[in-house]
Amino acid sequence: MSTAPIIIGSMVPLTGTSANDGREFRNGLSMAIDEVNARGGILGRRLEAEFVDTGNQSAVEVVRAARQLIHQHRASAIINGYNIGPQNAEYEPIADAGIIYIHHNTLVQHHDTVASDPTRYFGCFMGDPAEYWYGQGFIKFLSWLRDSHRWRPRNRRVAIISGPKPYSIVIANAMAVSAPKFGWELPIAPQIHPTNADWREALEKIRVHDPAIVAMTHFHAGDLARFHLQFMEKPLPSLLYLQYGALHSAFSEITGEKARGVITCTVIGLPRDEIGKKFAANYRARFGPLSTPEIGCQPYSSLHHYAIAAAVAGGTGEPGNGEINRRIAKALIDIPYRSVVGMIHYHPTWQAAVPYPDATQDPSLGIPHLFYQLRSPGESPALIAPEPYIEQPFELPPWL
Amino acid sequence: MAITESPEGDQSSHEATALRHLQQGLGIWSVSGQLEYCNSAFAASFGVPQSALVGLNVSELLEFTKRQGTLIGFESPNGAPVLRLHGMLLICADGRVLSAIDSALPSGGAISLLTDVTEARRNSMALVQARDKATAADQSKSRFLRAANHDLRQPLASLKILVYSCLVADKEADRKQALHAMEVSVSIMEDLLGALLNIGQLDAGKIEPSVATFQISAILTRLQVQFAHQAREKGLDLRIIPSKLAVVSDRVLLERILSNLVSNAINYTEVGRVLVGCRRHGRLLRIMVGDTGIGVAPEHHDAIFAEFYRVSDTQAQARHSLGLGLNIAQRLSAILGHTLGLTSELGRGSLFFIDVPIGNVWHSGGDEPEISERIGGEFAGLCCLVLEDDRILREAIISLLERWGMTVVTIDDFDHVAEAVSTLDGQPDIILTDYRLRGRIQGTDLVGTLNDLLDKPCPAIVMTADTAPEVIASIRAQGFPLLIKPVSPPSLRVVMHNLLFEPGLMAELP
Repeated sequence: MSTAPIIIGSMVPLTGTSANDGREFRNGLSMAIDEVNARGGILGRRLEAEFVDTGNQSAVEVVRAARQLIHQHRASAIINGYNIGPQNAEYEPIADAGIIYIHHNTLVQHHDTVASDPTRYFGCFMGDPAEYWYGQGFIKFLSWLRDSHRWRPRNRRVAIISGPKPYSIVIANAMAVSAPKFGWELPIAPQIHPTNADWREALEKIRVHDPAIVAMTHFHAGDLARFHLQFMEKPLPSLLYLQYGALHSAFSEITGEKARGVITCTVIGLPRDEIGKKFAANYRARFGPLSTPEIGCQPYSSLHHYAIAAAVAGGTGEPGNGEINRRIAKALIDIPYRSVVGMIHYHPTWQAAVPYPDATQDPSLGIPHLFYQLRSPGESPALIAPEPYIEQPFELPPWL
Repeated sequence: MAITESPEGDQSSHEATALRHLQQGLGIWSVSGQLEYCNSAFAASFGVPQSALVGLNVSELLEFTKRQGTLIGFESPNGAPVLRLHGMLLICADGRVLSAIDSALPSGGAISLLTDVTEARRNSMALVQARDKATAADQSKSRFLRAANHDLRQPLASLKILVYSCLVADKEADRKQALHAMEVSVSIMEDLLGALLNIGQLDAGKIEPSVATFQISAILTRLQVQFAHQAREKGLDLRIIPSKLAVVSDRVLLERILSNLVSNAINYTEVGRVLVGCRRHGRLLRIMVGDTGIGVAPEHHDAIFAEFYRVSDTQAQARHSLGLGLNIAQRLSAILGHTLGLTSELGRGSLFFIDVPIGNVWHSGGDEPEISERIGGEFAGLCCLVLEDDRILREAIISLLERWGMTVVTIDDFDHVAEAVSTLDGQPDIILTDYRLRGRIQGTDLVGTLNDLLDKPCPAIVMTADTAPEVIASIRAQGFPLLIKPVSPPSLRVVMHNLLFEPGLMAELP
């Protein structure tokens, strides 16, 4: 058996608008590789990471990165965080090479691509749930607040604002589809805006409909901060939901105390349990107090899951060795892994992690969809749903 | 005295030992009917000490042991007076059933022997139950066949007449009318057969509920769609009040129950309205179906849930009903453990209700079909106009776009575009065109013509298998994004996204 190192490729945005996240993805993968190597690697073979910068994460950049990792570095697997933009175009060279690819793109189109040809895309996995669940889960969360009398909405109206990316549009669509099923109304169709929009205009457009909830599904922390500051100039008497980016420190640094009361969430984060806290402490000890284990945890978890599956399958396969990689893919599905983000339990058809409580009622069989409410600067966001992960109660935002 | 001392003493001692250790209960009654002796098994059968029983007559013994709670009851043969135990079945508190047989003693009096017949009795009862069930099923089947024969004959007879009318009709209008009437007859037969099939499944015990948490609004919306037309045709006001709560039930079976109730309400209401609404009762949601119909007299309240029950035959005939709807609703409710009830007075309408447990909203929707782009993708709900003359390729593209949740419209007649545009089913948001259509029409030219005709001009993508540099340059020069055939889905996705949502990124196309 070969003793050469196993190459793990990683396509990470080390420059461009998502460079902060890209660095965390690199950190998370490096940390996991070091831990696996410290245990003796995979069946005695060490792992070695190769990172390729995906810059602005366009389809061209990401496909080029995949080809480089396959042809130049002979990567046996590609494991990374997210790349917004390639729209699964990178699946083609990866499927041609027959290697394992685990990403965290959070895209429902992954389901469609895999379902369109499961034999070809056997190795493509999404280590987190699709963004669709953000939409459906948020509507359930609102309904839970209402039905458990934690919050009494003034009316049933929900206004949705979206950014231009597929991710934001899908979440907005999912909210729009789910809302009526749970007793909510959309007085106006989701509004799709460019990222550099003057949000005041968008807010005035929905103000006339007097919504009880405003949901913003665009995700860049900087854009969200600008949106929020403009919202706070003349707050609507509504609950305010801001997509995932509001959890970033960059958002809090810009918005300060004004962010208190904002609802946000993630379909992949760090539960504040023993495993999550220990990982966060180790991560910060290694990468500094300003590092973000909540983001680095994604490729960290998936690398560990891959290492277990490869060991069970009997080894790893370079490009062209589809047989062993098919065994690894089967092991990834057959063996759920309790990672630092919760249980990674791949749906056998979707080849994507199943979310709790959105798609399973069993918290031991899904990655928790964690809902937070932002508090004052210096305070951690309050984890307010779902059970059994709740740490603090929901509170009415100061502007209500 | 040692038992070996004399043969007589030896014999009597053996008999005494045998009596004491006999597994069956044995009691000796005096000439005057009092218990003189009983062995320990006899006393144990009644769960009391021997001394408590000696001296009692049969009637006193039964009374005493019932008071003690050790005897639940007894059955005497043909209801004979309780003077002897003979022929009785004694039902003990521990579940055993004992059979008593008496033998007369030469000196007068009698011996009672108690035998445990629990197992035999159970088998016999199971046989009786099975026989009763079979008889009931047989009777039900006979009723079923009678009713089916009667009720299916009527639409079938109509159908025969209508087929004939249709064959001989001279005018198109007459034929259409006959066809419409045939459609009605067929749908009546379909409903009747559907109800009979449900009953068949229930009789066979083949219905297994699949209980999940879901939003009751999902069923209410479908009821509205299902019955709006029927109610409108009858001039009734069908109002279904929305509810936001989650319930725990079998979605399909609960919908079947409610649709039976709503169908019944519409059938038996001539004027006024049918109202469906929900009210919270603690941890239960009461779903109510009320009407302003003929109502049900109190003496029929229980009976209307019986199989094939009809308040009056004339009514049923007029409504093409087998009298199965409420029976199906009640039997399905029993399977689900839901309470089904009725409040009604003759001539004052009816209110049927079913109580269903309220569910946890977090658990709601787990049984939904698998999520896909068709439901929530970024292109869901948008419309694409596809211009492609290769039938196989066109179908492949349509299938792909529909999987992404888009509606697709096409034009086949490129020579009469204005006419084709006026008959399009939707206003397109984007156009996807082949470069060379039928070898002579350029897709780029056609897009220009179309955009002049459409209410709202829309962006277009051009596909071509012609990789000649001058062709590519020409298409690009006209400002169209270009995809080389065979078109890969990811490339199409990227171009469509950018064109529709982020035109600024068009320069980055692969």
